[in-house]
Amino acid sequence: MGEVMTAQGRALPAEDTADLREIGFRSLDFSELALRVEDELGDELNFDAPGLRRIATVGDVLDFIEQLQSA
Amino acid sequence: MSEAPSVVPPASVVLVSGGSRGLGLAIVTDLLAAGLKVAAFARTVTPELTALGEKFPDHLHYGSVDVNDAAAGQAFVKAVESTLGPIDALVNNAAIGQDSLHVHTSADHLAEIIRTNLTSPLILTRFVLRRMLAKGLKGRIVNITSICAQRGYPGLVAYSATKGGMDAATRSLARELGGRILANAVAPGFFASEMSAVLGQTQLDQIVRRTPTGHLTEPEDVLPVVRMLLLENTNLNGQVLVVDGAASI
Repeated sequence: MGEVMTAQGRALPAEDTADLREIGFRSLDFSELALRVEDELGDELNFDAPGLRRIATVGDVLDFIEQLQSA
Repeated sequence: MSEAPSVVPPASVVLVSGGSRGLGLAIVTDLLAAGLKVAAFARTVTPELTALGEKFPDHLHYGSVDVNDAAAGQAFVKAVESTLGPIDALVNNAAIGQDSLHVHTSADHLAEIIRTNLTSPLILTRFVLRRMLAKGLKGRIVNITSICAQRGYPGLVAYSATKGGMDAATRSLARELGGRILANAVAPGFFASEMSAVLGQTQLDQIVRRTPTGHLTEPEDVLPVVRMLLLENTNLNGQVLVVDGAASI
């Protein structure tokens, strides 16, 4: 997540509670993150939109990615 | 999650499907003349495309790929990335026509038209988008559709359905991609060649008579519109631009 934000000239906040809207982390940034994780896993991470809509904080993003990886 | 405003830079490496003849070849030629790097594939590589490759060896990557062969298409994309650089624009042009009343079109042929004109372009788009997003790129998509998506013509039921599907997909892509990738469609009227061969002369004459500009659409009419959507900063997104001389109005 930090890599995605750094590539856009922004920094990842240290707090898991940081609001994604406030730090400018958009839905497509999440997609970019998921695709980077896919590259590492060598497998596709496909998911439905409703799960994505529930994501509001940095912690939510990390939890969601973790869930996708373990699914 | 909120979407921030962004400016999408002009395209630099454009992938054109169905780029060996007709409008596709004209688009490839036009973009090369504009200085862009272009990748083009088609089921059959024509002498015209080969000649372009010899003229622009450093700017054109081309090959024989059936748009319905997803694996071959994806391999082509990766090869383009290694020769020309990351693809930041896609022109979905490959399509097959139709010349049969719906009741006389076999189920297999219906499926083939839908696969070639709708399913396969969506799969190619998905793959190219994934490559763009993974690289953090912004980009542009131009879908070549047809006036058939908006007006009814006999003998083109499945073809029209696929083009309408691509128009609809264009709008949803524009929403989904949040301004990071601009998605638009260009809907030409009937060309005097190729696709128009599926219409009878009487039907073509009727279309010409009803066209305020007095002529059928030519590829040269469409090229500046495609080029604009790929290069200019216009804030056009999710739109279907009809190029038919007002024949359909």
